[in-house]
Formats: sequence, C-alpha cells, structure tokens
Amino acid sequence: MQAPFRLSGMRRGVSKMKLHCFERTFFHSSSSLTPIQLPSPMETHLWYVKPSEVKSGSLLNQYLDILPPCERENVLQMRGEELRKSALLARALVRTTIARYQINSHSNPRSLKFRKNLHGKPEVQWQFRDDQHPPPLHFNISHTTSLVACGVTTNAQIGIDVEEKHRSIKHNILSFARRYFSKHEVQFLAAISDPQVQRMEFIKLWTLKEAYVKALGKGFSGAPFKTFTIRFKGVMEGGFNTLEDLSPKASEIVVDSFDDLADLTSNWQFSLLELANSHYAAICTEKHGAGSDEGKRNAPGKLTVWKTVPFLEDECVSGTAAVKIICGVQ
Amino acid sequence: MAAVSATCIRFGTSVELPVRANNQIIGKSSSLVSFGWGKTGGFPCIRTSRLQICAAKPETVEKVSDIVRKQLALSPETQLTPQTKFTELGADSLDTVEIVMGLEEEFDISVEEENSENITTIQEAADLIDKLVDKKA
Repeated sequence: MQAPFRLSGMRRGVSKMKLHCFERTFFHSSSSLTPIQLPSPMETHLWYVKPSEVKSGSLLNQYLDILPPCERENVLQMRGEELRKSALLARALVRTTIARYQINSHSNPRSLKFRKNLHGKPEVQWQFRDDQHPPPLHFNISHTTSLVACGVTTNAQIGIDVEEKHRSIKHNILSFARRYFSKHEVQFLAAISDPQVQRMEFIKLWTLKEAYVKALGKGFSGAPFKTFTIRFKGVMEGGFNTLEDLSPKASEIVVDSFDDLADLTSNWQFSLLELANSHYAAICTEKHGAGSDEGKRNAPGKLTVWKTVPFLEDECVSGTAAVKIICGVQ
Repeated sequence: MAAVSATCIRFGTSVELPVRANNQIIGKSSSLVSFGWGKTGGFPCIRTSRLQICAAKPETVEKVSDIVRKQLALSPETQLTPQTKFTELGADSLDTVEIVMGLEEEFDISVEEENSENITTIQEAADLIDKLVDKKA
C-alpha cells in the first residue's frame, strides 16, 4: 500500500539544472535503471543524490521496498525524519548504482548481498559460479543529511568522503588538528590567518584523510590520522598555498605515511571536488600499474559524475557547474 | 528479529513513521523510547561478565550523554539510553571524533585510536572512561 502522493510536495518540484552538458541523459521511468558499463581501469564513477530533491512518498517507499529486513531496520532506527531519509537514500543509492553495472546479470538492486571485510569495510558478496572470478567492481559511499554519494571503480580500491562546505566543528580547529592531524598538517592550517579559509581548508583536509582511510579499508584505527600527512605537491617550503591558489593541472595531492614504505603510499591518488556548490567531496583510489614506474607516472584519471534520483532520473553533471574540480582529476 | 513490512510505513511530505518493535507500535518518530531489536537490554553493563568490575557509574553515563547532546545539538525531547548508538543520532565520523575529544577533555583521559573505534554507544563510552579513569587513580 503506497502513500497518496501529496500535492504540496509536487508544487515545490524537483529543481533540474538547465545546463548544457554534452553527455546529459534524462531517463524517466517508474522503476527501471539505466544500465551502464563499468568504468575503465583509469576511471572513477561518482553518483550522488540530494535528499532535498526526493520528495515523492511513493518513490521513498520503492526504495524501502528494495532493502532486506535488516537494512530496513537500520534505516528505521535512525532518530528523526531527515536522518531516516538520508540513511534510506544511502542504501538505495548503493544498491541501484551497483545494479546498473549488471555484473553477472545482477541487475536487480534487491538481490545484491553485502558483507563487511575484516575491518568493517562494506563490500558486495557476489553470487557467482565456482569457475568465475570475483567481479572487479569496487565501491564506497559517504553521506551527510544533505548529500549522499557513491563512488565506483574497476580493479582499484576506493574511498570517498563528502562534507558540507559550511560545516563547522565544536572545537577550536587548531586544537582539534593538534589532537588528530599530523604535525605538517597542523603547520599548514596554523599558517592560515583568515578563520573562514582555515575552516574550509580543515574540512577539505578532513575529507581527504577520511577518503584515504576508507580506501585502505582498515578502519580508523588501522591508519590513525596522526600517522600520515596529506599535502599538496608544489607547496613551497616555509610557505603555504591554499587549495584555491593551486591550479588543478599543476598540482597533485599526495600522502606521506610514517609507517609505510615510501612506494606504498605512492599507490594512491586523490581528487578533491566541490559538488553541487554545497559539498566538498574527496576521492581516493588505487593507482593502476602501481608496481611499475610507468604506472606511478600515470596522468590523473578520468572522473564522471552523475546526479541521480534512482528509478526516476539521471543527469551527467561532469563538466558543469555542479562539479568544480579543486585538485586531482581531469 | 522483528520484521518490518512496507505496508506499515507511510512516507508523506512529513515522513512520519510509526515505529514497530515486536509487532507493537511503541511510538512515533518524535518521541522514540528505547527499544532493543534483539540487543541485550541490561543496564549498566551489557557485554562483559557480571563478575568483572566494568559497570559504568551512573554519573559517567550522565556526563557522556550531556557531551553527546551538546556535540550533536540534540533537541531536549530526544531520549537517550545507554544503548543508543551515536550513528542513530546522526553522528558521522567527524562527530564521533569530536565526541571522543570532548570526553578526553571532560575526564582528563587519553583514548587510543583502537579504542575510539569501539565507542559506538553511550554505554561503551562510559565503560571505557571509567576504566581509563580507574587506571589513572
């Protein structure tokens, strides 16, 4: 039994961006998903949904309907409508996104099974015949109440993190950084005199560090934040550049780890974006051919971004104002 | 485990959900009381043996709850129990880390990274705090 669709929700409408995007596709359907090919090894796909743009009660019920009982319980345990809605959209987004790639004929979002690795990182539990290899699809999700995102790669570990641009923390930023970040990162932040800029750089750094830890898949304690530094290549000794000063093509985000050997940390590449004018998104992926010198000199990978309302519409927003690349990819 | 059927959920513009536990509606979303979906409900100690001195003091639980309320800017009507998970209240990883930092400041302790991953509920935080405070004494 589905809720009657309320007219008051319809009046506000779903805002669509009237932008000219070469690869823009709109697909209107009550319950189907546009199939899509897996990203190439050097490519990342990013799908996101804005909860404020999903107003249809019947659509939300459709999402609830594709979840198994345990995931539904988890959604309903959240306190408050906003939290329940974003939790629901997070599960719906990951299931519908993976279903689009139709791996081994898995095209039904309902039939996907998930499990957690040793350290708690979610992964797909593929149902396949013994003579098949596990599919190469990797994914990671991140959500805030105002944006839910899912990143997909082929044959590469991935971690993503999204945060509201205007997020503030309760603690003093430098106190927090001294407690949790590395010495170099504290120096970087301490050198910024404008508190607004400092706060924004802090949030960007947080998302990058989170994305790295999530890509590693070892959990927060597997790679404590203090044990690695994320920095921007091209920053002069003794000075600093905020990320806005650096041109995306000229610079690169790199990670230095105190524990790992140098070549292990060069296995990872980072991208930092501003999404929908409202969020920072950090993406960390494994570099291909990481064993070879040639692999390490690879050009930054390609990123394709879709804004979606699962089952309703998808819009490719790469190259539009919805995706501002701060550093990393093309 | 209680089964939730789609027919008992309605999403209107206000997204009000009657919450079912063990097939009884126990409250609407805004005034949620504690319900254990298969979790052990014992207070104060839920995981460890009764013989161990691990039960957190009620004052500790109270202080932890206050810190959580402040960090997550919860409305006064939001009911908290020792088993409440931070994630249920909308805490993301940044919030959780701030909560841990707040606890360290309040109780003058230091929480190692391995331990902070295990702090997912008010009870777990209180248990760890009392353990660390006792160690200091």
